[in-house]
Amino acid sequence: MTDLAGTAPEPTKGTGGLSPRRMLAATEIDLRLFGMLVALFAILIGFGIATNGKILQPASIVTLSVQTAVVAIMATGMVLIIVSRNIDLSVGSTVGVLAMAYALLMTDWLPNLGVPLDSPLMWILALALGLGLGVGIGAFQGFIIAYIGVPSFIVTLGGLLALRGVVWQMSSGAAVSGLNDTFQLLGGGALGSIGGTATWALAVIGCVAVIALLAYNRRQRRRFGFPVRPMWAELLLGIVGCVAVLGVAAYMNANYWPKFLAENWAAANGVPIPEGGLQISTGFPWPILIIIGVTIVMAFVANRRRFGRYVYAYGGNPEAAELAGINTRWVIMKTYMLMGLLCGIAAAVASARLNGATLDVGQSNELYVIAAAVVGGTSFAGGIGTIPGAVLGAFVMQALAYGLAFVGVNSPTQNIVAGVVLVMAVGFDTFNRRRGT
Amino acid sequence: MIFRRVAPLIAAVAIVAGACSSSTGSAAPGGSGAAGTGCVVGVSWNNFQQPRWAAKDRPSMQKVVTGGGGLFLDFDANLSNTQQLTDVDTLIQQGADVIVLLAQDDKAGAEVVKKATAVGIPVIAYDRLIEDKNVLYLSFNNTDVGFAEADAMFKKVPKGNYVLIKGDPGDANASKFLPAGWDKAGLKDKVASGDIKIIGPADGTYTPAWDTTKAQNNMEAIIDAANAANQKIDAVLAENDSTALGVAAALKAKSYANIPISGQDGDTANLQNVAAGIQYVDVWKNSNELGKAAGAAALQLCAGKKMADLALPEGLVLPANAPTAGNKVQDFTTPGGNTVKSFILAVQPITQENLQLIIDSKWLTKEVLCKNAAAGPAAAPICK
Repeated sequence: MTDLAGTAPEPTKGTGGLSPRRMLAATEIDLRLFGMLVALFAILIGFGIATNGKILQPASIVTLSVQTAVVAIMATGMVLIIVSRNIDLSVGSTVGVLAMAYALLMTDWLPNLGVPLDSPLMWILALALGLGLGVGIGAFQGFIIAYIGVPSFIVTLGGLLALRGVVWQMSSGAAVSGLNDTFQLLGGGALGSIGGTATWALAVIGCVAVIALLAYNRRQRRRFGFPVRPMWAELLLGIVGCVAVLGVAAYMNANYWPKFLAENWAAANGVPIPEGGLQISTGFPWPILIIIGVTIVMAFVANRRRFGRYVYAYGGNPEAAELAGINTRWVIMKTYMLMGLLCGIAAAVASARLNGATLDVGQSNELYVIAAAVVGGTSFAGGIGTIPGAVLGAFVMQALAYGLAFVGVNSPTQNIVAGVVLVMAVGFDTFNRRRGT
Repeated sequence: MIFRRVAPLIAAVAIVAGACSSSTGSAAPGGSGAAGTGCVVGVSWNNFQQPRWAAKDRPSMQKVVTGGGGLFLDFDANLSNTQQLTDVDTLIQQGADVIVLLAQDDKAGAEVVKKATAVGIPVIAYDRLIEDKNVLYLSFNNTDVGFAEADAMFKKVPKGNYVLIKGDPGDANASKFLPAGWDKAGLKDKVASGDIKIIGPADGTYTPAWDTTKAQNNMEAIIDAANAANQKIDAVLAENDSTALGVAAALKAKSYANIPISGQDGDTANLQNVAAGIQYVDVWKNSNELGKAAGAAALQLCAGKKMADLALPEGLVLPANAPTAGNKVQDFTTPGGNTVKSFILAVQPITQENLQLIIDSKWLTKEVLCKNAAAGPAAAPICK
């Protein structure tokens, strides 16, 4: 293998000159993603100026990220559904049902079966049952869409209405609270974070993974005689990747336990409080880790697994995919099952954050999820859309909402801004695409 | 959902089938001589989505009506004005002698009142005011709710930094009545004198649809902004229980100090929070008592009493909720300038000191009330 790679002349890209455009092309950075990242930073810096930099403090950014989690998790699944020319309007109601299911499982159903609330088995059982129920709801809707052939808009519109009714039926309309302590960690906060040391360890692993991935990619490309990036581009990507990962970790670790909590902890453990206050790093909160994990897994599934490629193939041209022998119905049904699973994860975060469930958990989330996917570059024409784009889209929308709330703008005005930004983002994207082709 | 649509249809069929039987309730008020006998009380609820109507108001009202020999008929309009009009038509056709109306909308409600009074049927405006001088208005004192929230909080935290969390901006309760009660308790004066400083928007932060998650997100942003500005939050005035739940979740997510929060409604989760020391005060509207009062008033109207002569039977309503103006019907001037007859029941601020009321009135069992108390920061004495 090595001799093959060795003898072949090494084709490289972007060697023809050093204009900025060519250099950018040589790094193979997704320009749309890059543009969104720039937009996100622009929004944050804009709010940073408006608040004298206060919104850029770690505590604020952590809050913002945790608030994004529910929508971002679901947006990754919505990408695949929209890419395959379908829609899921029921995700908000599904989250409502699953959040209520978690709350009732922990306060009512499982305790009645003899599992006490504080048992370590409790959160595992509840989570497993909730995720299973999510997949079940997805499978049911997906089956009707894929095998019976009812349009997904109609099926999931029915789901939106019916499942919201189910939430009410489950608890006769009452809010339910008091979840398992371990389960609550999924909601984040100072206690629901992994701490400073673990954060550094994860960052180092992340950094090594970035470099390993780049090296592996280079070797694979050489092996099959594909053009590789110039070495300087590889090094640049490796360094930027590592610095980004370590930077995020440092940033998370610069978020400290709230004073009240730290002092209580110190008093309980007999630790003296040093001059200038006790500073305990929170590190990554669980919801942020879940976003990162879900994004990586979903991007891998979308880009590297057969299922993911089938979804894009179907979205690009359903007839061609069918003729190519893809079991398209099963693929479509699976996108909904996956969506149901993601709703289960999102509902776990939502209910853990609330320490319970109310009738309105997930209300109108379907709109934010679809907006995030679309702002992230997913096209309703099918076949186009990326997982990281949707996650970034969710961050952009939530950054606006959080920033406006931070500077004291009321919720109705936040909605106006969200609506305008949604249309503007897609309009800008459409304009760019038309110009690009 | 389909059932709710179909219910009036079934009812309509029932009328056709038994047109004669329903004619026993005479269409003219006061037509029947014996008190209660043959009295048909028709009730139109605007929704059963909120749990209290079906769980508390309805059974208490029904018990009083049937206990007094009357017939109880009711429909739920599933949050639709047009459905409510249909429901009331059906009730009139079925021979209702009195109509109890929980209006979806005060203007659409006025149409219903016109329709009913045109055929001589008195209307009780149940818990929601209708701008029409012919109604009997039954409710809790809603400005008092705001007053009771703020009053309890100011006694607990007389000076300090407050956050104001309000409800839906389109709801007059959120934008007018409750804040009016806060001001009556001295909020405006205390801000003017500097005893109280408002953190976040000075006018408070609204919560569309009273959504708990939205309230939580807004509160988290306010906490972050306050922390960044080195301000300490001492108390949170939240208008109702669903927003209070969001505030409690935000404080927990931020591991903030356990500061007093207000609320109203007497929702189970919030009363559990009071028992656990997470929420300081929950202004409780015992809707069982409102249901009873409406049932009694309906029977009296049936028996031919004029609205001006009504009086609640002694001992019907729990002393804690008895109208402060006494059991006799009172005049009430509406914001629209109408003078209507009314019974206005008293509200009860619930803190850990008087949680016993909740158990005594059978609103919640002690087991449910104290469920999460041990896990909270300060369990109520009665839960220990």
